[in-house]
Amino acid sequence: MEIIELGSQHLFDLCTKYLARDDDSPRHSYFGAIPAGHGRFSEGWRFPVIEPHCDGDDATRASRNDVTFIYMAPPDAGDGFSVSIRGTFDALYVRTPLKRVEDSRYFALTVVLPAGCCYRYRFILGDTEILDPINPQITVEDNGTEWSSFFTFATFEPITFERWERIILDRLTRHILPFNTQEAREFLEREVGTPRPNHPYLHRFDISVGVVNFLDKLLAREERHQLPAYKTCLAIINRILRQRNPYLEPRDMPRDMFKLLYDEMASGNVPGWDYNLYSGPSFFLQMLRRHAWTGAFCHPKYGGNAGATGWRYLAERYKDADGNTLFDWARSIEPPLGRSTEYRG
Amino acid sequence: METFDAVIIGSGAGGAPIAYKLAEAGKSVLVLEKGPLLRTQQDSPNGLSDFKRDELYGSGPEKIHTISGVANTGAAFYTSHIEPDLNDEPHLYSHNLEETPVVTIEGYTAQVVGGGTQLYGAVSLRFAPDDFRLASVNAGRQLPEIDLNSPDISILDWPISYSELESFYAMAEKLVGINGSVQGQLKPFPSGNFYQTPLPPNPISTHAKAGMDALGMNPYRTPLAVITQDHAESGRKAGDPKTGFVNRYGDPMGFKSNTWVSLLRPAIRKWPGRITLRCNCVVTHLSSNGSRVTTVHYRSPDGSRREVSGKIVVVACSAIESVRLLMLSAEEDRPGFGAKIRYEENDSLLGRYFLTHCFGGAEVAIKGKRYDKSISLDSDWATDFCARPEFIQQEKLWAGGAIYNNTSDQALPISLARTHRSTDLDTLWLGFAGDTGLYGDRINGWLDADFGTRLSVSFMANQIPWFQNHIRLSNVRDKWNRKSAHIVKDWHPHDGHVMRTLARYCEEILLKGVPGTTPDDIEEGSVYGNGVRIANHILGGARFGTNRNNSVLDKQCRVWDFDNLYVTDGSFMPTSGGANPTLTIQANAFRVGQHLATQVL
Repeated sequence: MEIIELGSQHLFDLCTKYLARDDDSPRHSYFGAIPAGHGRFSEGWRFPVIEPHCDGDDATRASRNDVTFIYMAPPDAGDGFSVSIRGTFDALYVRTPLKRVEDSRYFALTVVLPAGCCYRYRFILGDTEILDPINPQITVEDNGTEWSSFFTFATFEPITFERWERIILDRLTRHILPFNTQEAREFLEREVGTPRPNHPYLHRFDISVGVVNFLDKLLAREERHQLPAYKTCLAIINRILRQRNPYLEPRDMPRDMFKLLYDEMASGNVPGWDYNLYSGPSFFLQMLRRHAWTGAFCHPKYGGNAGATGWRYLAERYKDADGNTLFDWARSIEPPLGRSTEYRG
Repeated sequence: METFDAVIIGSGAGGAPIAYKLAEAGKSVLVLEKGPLLRTQQDSPNGLSDFKRDELYGSGPEKIHTISGVANTGAAFYTSHIEPDLNDEPHLYSHNLEETPVVTIEGYTAQVVGGGTQLYGAVSLRFAPDDFRLASVNAGRQLPEIDLNSPDISILDWPISYSELESFYAMAEKLVGINGSVQGQLKPFPSGNFYQTPLPPNPISTHAKAGMDALGMNPYRTPLAVITQDHAESGRKAGDPKTGFVNRYGDPMGFKSNTWVSLLRPAIRKWPGRITLRCNCVVTHLSSNGSRVTTVHYRSPDGSRREVSGKIVVVACSAIESVRLLMLSAEEDRPGFGAKIRYEENDSLLGRYFLTHCFGGAEVAIKGKRYDKSISLDSDWATDFCARPEFIQQEKLWAGGAIYNNTSDQALPISLARTHRSTDLDTLWLGFAGDTGLYGDRINGWLDADFGTRLSVSFMANQIPWFQNHIRLSNVRDKWNRKSAHIVKDWHPHDGHVMRTLARYCEEILLKGVPGTTPDDIEEGSVYGNGVRIANHILGGARFGTNRNNSVLDKQCRVWDFDNLYVTDGSFMPTSGGANPTLTIQANAFRVGQHLATQVL
């Protein structure tokens, strides 16, 4: 495991806005959607902090991340205070100490880890192992053991949603996005068939430009507070679809069934919807629209827009009379994804 | 206690120029900045910037308002990574004191080294000469929808004229690094033209220029704080600054001339040891003894209490936060600091005459043509046509404004969607999310109509200084258990007259400049009666003037009854000027900095 020093200035830059405060009330629990302890901090999902790694070789930038663990000691922690960490990024029995950042309450450790992976960890205070008090991502093992967890850039391993949930999300987001037309599907099939051997983010198996994978990661991290809404609504939708057609799995149901469901959700009036469990199907649909669009056109490091397929779609759709694109996204974006000669990502 | 010649609170347009001038004069300066130091690629040891060309940096994931007792508890909001978390540091807003306020992101300035100059579009216009003397210009005039003698309206001439500020405009243009053109501007440039050469405009702007030309508006290239050539003063190398990641994005390359790369970083390099920059340090309050501010109380990056003193103290942390800091300091010591700053006295002007800009314009989706808007800066062409004295007389306006075209707006697919039908930063995504008829084929139709086709022309004009528009403290507490700012602001009916008039000219530009366009194709309007729209030009609240009865600050931006307390962000402005304010804040800060260096310290 490679440990690096980011310097105290940068470590403070990562921490202060989110962690420093006098008021310890759960301002960021979003009315209970985030556990109150984690809800004391702003954007606790940012921790551990995951940044691109660069050691001068362009290719490593996409394939490795700097991961910075932060523990904030109590205000009265003396000079003897110490905290260490163990996790799946190293042999599980190895305890690595965090270092105090100058004379502050922050303790930090930065390690370089492969992108595209999920990890578990715990902090160790004396003889006691604890979950990360800041990061709300928690993984529960089959035996009930809890770990704090995180994933690095461009991870494709499912974290949040079950297979049946991902299928429903795939069908609904395909209905929303512009990739369901014949022309768009031909484009996507060409894209999938185009080998891009140097492409770090391409996920060829995901023809719907990675939107479901983006959702899977977004609901684990940045918008974790909406995870209960997703889980509830997907269960309701699954039940409604199966009631309407008991003979087909959702992945095989005709497009018209999803079109009808979409229109009903847009109107807010969905026959069979359990309004006691979730009162606003139109609200959920509107959130899904925002998420789907973001996933289709975000930077691929977020797990969506796989291989920049969304951007490529626009670049191909809009051209001038001479065939030059009118959306030259690659010009501004770092290589190897884009072709900027200045910007390094 | 640790002591400096000057402690400057805030590293943006109002603070950095003073730090620069004082360091140049050999003074010791501490700059306290609430936000982080986000590095350019050149600053970073691994060559990667902390700013990214990433649409999720401009406005990030959804968050939910959890502050209770406001009208939008439970609503979503979206902020840049360097804007505050509104649940930690809310700004409250209402049209009047009777209305239940909302928490708003409008009016917040980026919290980062460089302040608002990191995220702004970098439009760097001078104010027109008459913007400095609007009381004189309007003496004896009768205008629609306003009684200029009304006691709740207070139009002041600035205590400095355009000609007194002109050399500092030139200093700012030279040191900050701005490209643009002089010919066509209404403002004289006797100190010289220090603009760098503009880059070729985005082709879509040809329509804006054609419209301005057809109307005899004498357009010029919009001055932008972006270097297009090597900039010796700041030691920066030019490159290719044209991307879709412009307004609301920090620049990883340092081509955008924010006050970190253009002033603070060069000053730290040129005069080592003179400037101490402490980031992630929020100032909680000031304390005083008699007429001197003695102590600046702040928190270290982990929240620990710290104190420092300066022979002078400069408050420059954006108008709302500066006024709030002065009020919080007054509440800590009402008989002392509070009395000196006349906090909550009957005739107190602290927080009063808060201003933004009359703002609006016209927009069209050009039919049959498409342009790559992702290769652009924020604006290409501007005109002072509506700032001319004869125009202001003819249209019966109290003041005029600038018009310029926007080039970078909605240039990228996520920004196109999140600003679809939104009226301000508080309504991002609502339009797209709720426009459920847009899906599949129809979403392709929407893209065909709007992606790379939208051209907007905006105006930026003076707002009436109105006593009822003010900043006060709210009982809602921030994460430091301090009272938050509450902004009470509405538009005067004459502001509506100004905005309708200028929006009409913006529409005319599009009608003349885009062949085949009819009025039905154009969306024209303004912020009048529409949303919060503080527009992030937050001005006034601690106006400077000629005597303590009409102002909070004297001509040198010193608080009248303090010997060593200065306020130099946009709050000093008694009128908001007919253009984006940053260059004027910078020029005035250079002026005050020079005064402090030569006359005070």
